[in-house]
Amino acid sequence: MSTPQKRILVVDDAATVRMYHRSILEGAGFEVTEAINGIEALEKALTRPFDLYLVDINMPKQDGYAFLRELRKQDIPQTPAIMISTESESRDRSLAYVAGANLYLVKPIKPHELLANCRLLLGLAGGAE
Amino acid sequence: MAFVKRSQTTTVGQDERGYSRDFEGLCAELEAPNPTARRWAARDLAAHPGAAQVLIARLEVEPDAAVREAIMISLTEIGDAVTVQGLVKCLRSEDASLRNEAIEAMKHLPDTVAPVMAGLLADPEPDIRIFAVNVLESLRHPDVEQWLIEVISEDAHINVCATAVDLLGEVGTEAAVGPLEALKRRFPAEPYIEFAADLALRRIRDEG
Repeated sequence: MSTPQKRILVVDDAATVRMYHRSILEGAGFEVTEAINGIEALEKALTRPFDLYLVDINMPKQDGYAFLRELRKQDIPQTPAIMISTESESRDRSLAYVAGANLYLVKPIKPHELLANCRLLLGLAGGAE
Repeated sequence: MAFVKRSQTTTVGQDERGYSRDFEGLCAELEAPNPTARRWAARDLAAHPGAAQVLIARLEVEPDAAVREAIMISLTEIGDAVTVQGLVKCLRSEDASLRNEAIEAMKHLPDTVAPVMAGLLADPEPDIRIFAVNVLESLRHPDVEQWLIEVISEDAHINVCATAVDLLGEVGTEAAVGPLEALKRRFPAEPYIEFAADLALRRIRDEG
Protein backbone atom coordinates (compact mmCIF):
# COMPACT_ATOMS: atom_id res chain seq x y z
CA MET A 1 0.00 0.00 0.00
CA SER A 2 1.52 3.31 -0.99
CA THR A 3 1.27 6.23 1.41
CA PRO A 4 0.54 9.67 -0.02
CA GLN A 5 3.53 11.95 0.47
CA LYS A 6 2.76 13.78 3.69
CA ARG A 7 5.28 16.10 5.31
CA ILE A 8 6.36 15.45 8.89
CA LEU A 9 8.58 17.68 11.04
CA VAL A 10 10.65 15.65 13.53
CA VAL A 11 11.79 17.80 16.46
CA ASP A 12 14.38 16.28 18.80
CA ASP A 13 17.78 17.40 20.09
CA ALA A 14 19.19 13.86 19.88
CA ALA A 15 20.59 13.19 16.41
CA THR A 16 20.20 9.42 16.79
CA VAL A 17 16.51 9.76 17.62
CA ARG A 18 15.94 12.01 14.62
CA MET A 19 17.73 9.51 12.36
CA TYR A 20 15.69 6.62 13.79
CA HIS A 21 12.37 8.38 13.22
CA ARG A 22 13.46 9.57 9.79
CA SER A 23 14.42 6.06 8.70
CA ILE A 24 11.04 4.66 9.76
CA LEU A 25 8.96 7.47 8.29
CA GLU A 26 10.84 7.79 5.01
CA GLY A 27 10.71 4.01 4.65
CA ALA A 28 6.92 4.35 4.72
CA GLY A 29 6.87 7.11 2.11
CA PHE A 30 6.65 10.22 4.26
CA GLU A 31 8.74 13.32 3.61
CA VAL A 32 10.72 14.20 6.74
CA THR A 33 12.29 17.46 7.87
CA GLU A 34 14.30 17.74 11.10
CA ALA A 35 14.67 20.43 13.76
CA ILE A 36 16.93 20.26 16.82
CA ASN A 37 14.87 22.41 19.20
CA GLY A 38 11.63 24.33 19.47
CA ILE A 39 13.01 27.56 18.08
CA GLU A 40 14.28 25.95 14.89
CA ALA A 41 11.06 23.96 14.62
CA LEU A 42 8.91 27.08 14.85
CA GLU A 43 10.98 28.81 12.17
CA LYS A 44 10.50 25.83 9.86
CA ALA A 45 6.81 25.50 10.69
CA LEU A 46 6.19 29.14 9.85
CA THR A 47 8.18 28.89 6.63
CA ARG A 48 6.38 25.92 5.09
CA PRO A 49 3.36 23.86 6.05
CA PHE A 50 3.68 20.40 7.56
CA ASP A 51 1.03 17.74 7.89
CA LEU A 52 2.24 16.43 11.26
CA TYR A 53 4.65 17.37 14.04
CA LEU A 54 6.60 14.78 16.01
CA VAL A 55 7.97 16.61 19.06
CA ASP A 56 10.29 15.67 21.93
CA ILE A 57 9.71 17.39 25.29
CA ASN A 58 13.16 17.97 26.77
CA MET A 59 15.26 20.06 24.43
CA PRO A 60 17.64 22.97 25.03
CA LYS A 61 16.72 26.54 23.99
CA GLN A 62 12.99 25.79 23.72
CA ASP A 63 11.31 22.64 25.01
CA GLY A 64 8.50 20.77 23.28
CA TYR A 65 5.73 22.24 25.44
CA ALA A 66 6.83 25.80 24.64
CA PHE A 67 7.10 24.98 20.94
CA LEU A 68 3.58 23.57 20.80
CA ARG A 69 2.15 26.50 22.74
CA GLU A 70 3.78 28.92 20.28
CA LEU A 71 2.66 26.84 17.32
CA ARG A 72 -0.94 26.86 18.49
CA LYS A 73 -0.80 30.63 19.01
CA GLN A 74 0.22 31.07 15.38
CA ASP A 75 -2.03 30.30 12.47
CA ILE A 76 -1.33 26.58 12.78
CA PRO A 77 -3.95 25.36 15.23
CA GLN A 78 -5.22 22.33 13.33
CA THR A 79 -2.07 20.47 12.29
CA PRO A 80 -1.80 17.33 14.43
CA ALA A 81 1.13 16.96 16.80
CA ILE A 82 2.52 13.92 18.59
CA MET A 83 4.56 14.58 21.68
CA ILE A 84 7.23 12.01 22.46
CA SER A 85 9.05 11.68 25.73
CA THR A 86 10.89 9.34 28.04
CA GLU A 87 8.57 10.53 30.78
CA SER A 88 5.61 8.27 31.42
CA GLU A 89 3.99 10.11 34.33
CA SER A 90 0.36 11.14 33.82
CA ARG A 91 1.46 14.66 34.81
CA ASP A 92 3.59 14.86 31.67
CA ARG A 93 0.75 13.60 29.49
CA SER A 94 -1.57 16.25 30.90
CA LEU A 95 0.98 19.00 30.27
CA ALA A 96 1.42 17.79 26.69
CA TYR A 97 -2.30 17.87 25.95
CA VAL A 98 -2.67 21.29 27.56
CA ALA A 99 0.19 22.57 25.36
CA GLY A 100 -1.64 21.39 22.24
CA ALA A 101 -0.56 17.81 21.56
CA ASN A 102 -3.03 15.42 19.95
CA LEU A 103 -1.21 12.32 21.15
CA TYR A 104 1.47 11.42 23.70
CA LEU A 105 3.84 8.51 23.11
CA VAL A 106 6.54 7.20 25.43
CA LYS A 107 10.00 6.38 24.06
CA PRO A 108 11.35 4.12 22.76
CA ILE A 109 8.76 3.81 20.03
CA LYS A 110 8.53 0.72 17.90
CA PRO A 111 8.30 1.35 14.14
CA HIS A 112 4.81 -0.13 13.71
CA GLU A 113 3.55 1.95 16.65
CA LEU A 114 4.98 5.17 15.22
CA LEU A 115 3.59 4.54 11.74
CA ALA A 116 0.16 3.48 12.95
CA ASN A 117 -0.23 6.59 15.08
CA CYS A 118 1.05 8.94 12.38
CA ARG A 119 -1.37 7.41 9.88
CA LEU A 120 -4.18 7.67 12.38
CA LEU A 121 -3.64 11.39 12.93
CA LEU A 122 -3.18 11.99 9.21
CA GLY A 123 -6.42 10.20 8.43
CA LEU A 124 -4.66 7.58 6.34
CA ALA A 125 -5.53 3.92 6.05
CA GLY A 126 -3.59 1.65 8.41
CA GLY A 127 -3.93 3.85 11.48
CA ALA A 128 -3.57 2.54 15.03
CA GLU A 129 -5.56 -0.62 15.52
CA MET B 1 19.00 27.30 26.88
CA ALA B 2 22.25 28.29 25.26
CA PHE B 3 23.80 30.92 27.38
CA VAL B 4 27.30 32.21 27.08
CA LYS B 5 29.42 34.11 29.52
CA ARG B 6 29.71 37.54 28.05
CA SER B 7 30.55 41.01 29.17
CA GLN B 8 27.58 43.33 29.44
CA THR B 9 28.32 47.00 29.24
CA THR B 10 24.97 48.72 29.54
CA THR B 11 23.95 50.00 32.94
CA VAL B 12 20.72 49.87 34.86
CA GLY B 13 18.94 53.20 35.11
CA GLN B 14 18.93 55.04 38.43
CA ASP B 15 15.17 54.60 38.67
CA GLU B 16 15.61 50.84 38.41
CA ARG B 17 18.28 50.71 41.11
CA GLY B 18 16.32 50.94 44.29
CA TYR B 19 18.86 49.30 46.60
CA SER B 20 22.55 49.51 47.41
CA ARG B 21 24.90 47.23 45.45
CA ASP B 22 26.15 45.32 48.48
CA PHE B 23 25.06 41.72 49.05
CA GLU B 24 21.99 42.58 51.10
CA GLY B 25 20.91 45.28 48.64
CA LEU B 26 21.29 42.98 45.66
CA CYS B 27 19.34 40.22 47.40
CA ALA B 28 16.52 42.69 48.04
CA GLU B 29 16.64 43.91 44.45
CA LEU B 30 16.38 40.33 43.19
CA GLU B 31 12.78 40.51 44.46
CA ALA B 32 12.05 43.86 42.79
CA PRO B 33 8.93 44.17 40.60
CA ASN B 34 11.01 45.50 37.68
CA PRO B 35 12.57 42.60 35.70
CA THR B 36 15.44 44.80 34.49
CA ALA B 37 16.39 45.53 38.10
CA ARG B 38 16.16 41.83 38.95
CA ARG B 39 18.32 40.91 35.97
CA TRP B 40 21.05 43.35 37.02
CA ALA B 41 20.87 42.16 40.61
CA ALA B 42 21.25 38.59 39.39
CA ARG B 43 24.24 39.55 37.29
CA ASP B 44 25.95 41.52 40.07
CA LEU B 45 25.41 38.74 42.61
CA ALA B 46 27.94 36.66 40.65
CA ALA B 47 30.62 38.65 42.51
CA HIS B 48 29.37 37.29 45.84
CA PRO B 49 30.47 33.68 46.43
CA GLY B 50 27.71 33.13 48.98
CA ALA B 51 24.93 34.13 46.59
CA ALA B 52 24.15 30.68 45.15
CA GLN B 53 21.40 29.93 47.66
CA VAL B 54 19.51 33.13 47.03
CA LEU B 55 19.90 32.84 43.25
CA ILE B 56 18.61 29.27 43.27
CA ALA B 57 15.64 30.28 45.42
CA ARG B 58 14.80 33.07 42.97
CA LEU B 59 15.20 30.74 39.98
CA GLU B 60 12.40 28.54 41.24
CA VAL B 61 9.85 31.36 41.07
CA GLU B 62 11.31 33.74 38.46
CA PRO B 63 8.90 34.16 35.50
CA ASP B 64 11.13 36.33 33.27
CA ALA B 65 13.34 34.43 30.81
CA ALA B 66 16.05 37.12 30.71
CA VAL B 67 16.31 37.17 34.50
CA ARG B 68 16.51 33.38 34.57
CA GLU B 69 19.29 33.48 32.01
CA ALA B 70 21.19 36.06 34.11
CA ILE B 71 20.75 33.87 37.18
CA MET B 72 22.10 30.83 35.34
CA ILE B 73 25.13 32.78 34.09
CA SER B 74 25.87 33.97 37.64
CA LEU B 75 25.42 30.47 39.03
CA THR B 76 27.93 29.03 36.56
CA GLU B 77 30.37 31.79 37.54
CA ILE B 78 29.95 30.97 41.25
CA GLY B 79 29.95 27.24 40.47
CA ASP B 80 30.28 25.94 44.03
CA ALA B 81 28.77 22.87 45.70
CA VAL B 82 25.70 24.87 46.78
CA THR B 83 25.12 25.83 43.15
CA VAL B 84 25.26 22.22 42.02
CA GLN B 85 22.94 21.12 44.83
CA GLY B 86 20.45 23.75 43.74
CA LEU B 87 20.71 22.77 40.08
CA VAL B 88 20.15 19.12 40.98
CA LYS B 89 16.99 20.21 42.79
CA CYS B 90 15.89 21.97 39.58
CA LEU B 91 16.21 18.65 37.71
CA ARG B 92 13.26 17.46 39.80
CA SER B 93 11.11 20.44 38.82
CA GLU B 94 7.87 19.98 36.87
CA ASP B 95 8.94 22.97 34.75
CA ALA B 96 10.60 21.51 31.64
CA SER B 97 12.38 24.75 30.76
CA LEU B 98 13.84 25.02 34.27
CA ARG B 99 15.06 21.43 34.04
CA ASN B 100 16.69 22.10 30.67
CA GLU B 101 18.29 25.31 31.94
CA ALA B 102 19.73 23.39 34.90
CA ILE B 103 21.12 20.70 32.58
CA GLU B 104 22.80 23.35 30.42
CA ALA B 105 24.28 25.09 33.47
CA MET B 106 25.61 21.83 34.92
CA LYS B 107 27.47 21.10 31.67
CA HIS B 108 29.64 24.14 32.44
CA LEU B 109 30.67 22.87 35.89
CA PRO B 110 32.60 19.63 35.35
CA ASP B 111 34.69 19.82 38.52
CA THR B 112 31.77 20.44 40.87
CA VAL B 113 29.32 18.18 39.04
CA ALA B 114 31.71 15.20 38.88
CA PRO B 115 31.51 14.39 42.63
CA VAL B 116 27.70 14.13 42.47
CA MET B 117 27.46 12.35 39.10
CA ALA B 118 27.65 8.81 40.47
CA GLY B 119 24.76 9.62 42.82
CA LEU B 120 22.68 11.11 40.00
CA LEU B 121 23.28 8.09 37.78
CA ALA B 122 22.08 5.86 40.63
CA ASP B 123 19.01 7.98 41.46
CA PRO B 124 15.81 5.94 42.00
CA GLU B 125 14.00 8.15 39.43
CA PRO B 126 14.81 7.13 35.84
CA ASP B 127 14.07 10.66 34.62
CA ILE B 128 16.82 12.01 36.89
CA ARG B 129 19.23 9.40 35.55
CA ILE B 130 18.30 10.46 32.00
CA PHE B 131 18.92 14.11 32.86
CA ALA B 132 22.29 13.11 34.37
CA VAL B 133 23.23 11.46 31.08
CA ASN B 134 22.10 14.64 29.29
CA VAL B 135 24.53 16.60 31.49
CA LEU B 136 27.34 14.29 30.35
CA GLU B 137 26.68 15.31 26.74
CA SER B 138 29.16 18.16 26.85
CA LEU B 139 30.68 17.81 30.30
CA ARG B 140 34.41 18.03 29.73
CA HIS B 141 35.50 15.36 32.16
CA PRO B 142 37.78 12.35 31.63
CA ASP B 143 35.30 9.89 33.21
CA VAL B 144 32.41 10.58 30.80
CA GLU B 145 32.89 7.47 28.65
CA GLN B 146 33.32 5.23 31.71
CA TRP B 147 30.13 6.62 33.29
CA LEU B 148 28.24 5.94 30.05
CA ILE B 149 29.60 2.40 29.82
CA GLU B 150 28.46 1.74 33.39
CA VAL B 151 24.99 3.04 32.51
CA ILE B 152 24.52 0.80 29.48
CA SER B 153 25.98 -2.16 31.38
CA GLU B 154 23.99 -1.84 34.58
CA ASP B 155 20.91 0.38 34.28
CA ALA B 156 17.69 -1.61 33.98
CA HIS B 157 15.66 1.22 32.42
CA ILE B 158 15.63 1.19 28.64
CA ASN B 159 15.34 4.96 28.19
CA VAL B 160 18.31 5.64 30.46
CA CYS B 161 20.35 3.18 28.37
CA ALA B 162 18.99 4.65 25.11
CA THR B 163 20.07 8.15 26.14
CA ALA B 164 23.54 6.87 27.05
CA VAL B 165 23.87 5.03 23.73
CA ASP B 166 23.06 8.23 21.83
CA LEU B 167 25.99 9.88 23.57
CA LEU B 168 28.34 6.93 23.20
CA GLY B 169 27.75 7.32 19.48
CA GLU B 170 29.59 10.61 19.78
CA VAL B 171 32.24 10.00 22.45
CA GLY B 172 32.62 6.21 22.54
CA THR B 173 35.93 4.48 21.85
CA GLU B 174 36.97 0.82 21.47
CA ALA B 175 36.26 0.43 25.19
CA ALA B 176 32.55 0.81 24.48
CA VAL B 177 32.32 -1.90 21.78
CA GLY B 178 31.83 -4.87 24.12
CA PRO B 179 29.29 -3.08 26.34
CA LEU B 180 27.33 -1.91 23.26
CA GLU B 181 27.16 -5.48 21.92
CA ALA B 182 26.07 -6.68 25.37
CA LEU B 183 23.36 -4.01 25.51
CA LYS B 184 21.86 -5.26 22.23
CA ARG B 185 21.69 -8.75 23.74
CA ARG B 186 20.10 -7.35 26.92
CA PHE B 187 17.29 -5.60 24.99
CA PRO B 188 16.83 -7.93 21.99
CA ALA B 189 13.27 -6.85 21.17
CA GLU B 190 13.92 -3.10 21.13
CA PRO B 191 14.46 -1.73 17.61
CA TYR B 192 15.67 1.64 18.89
CA ILE B 193 18.45 0.10 20.98
CA GLU B 194 19.60 -1.99 18.02
CA PHE B 195 19.50 1.06 15.72
CA ALA B 196 21.39 3.36 18.11
CA ALA B 197 23.94 0.74 19.21
CA ASP B 198 24.68 -0.24 15.60
CA LEU B 199 25.14 3.43 14.71
CA ALA B 200 27.55 3.92 17.62
CA LEU B 201 29.46 0.73 16.77
CA ARG B 202 29.80 1.78 13.13
CA ARG B 203 31.20 5.15 14.10
CA ILE B 204 33.66 3.67 16.59
CA ARG B 205 34.87 1.07 14.06
CA ASP B 206 35.14 3.67 11.28
CA GLU B 207 37.32 5.83 13.49
CA GLY B 208 39.31 2.89 14.87
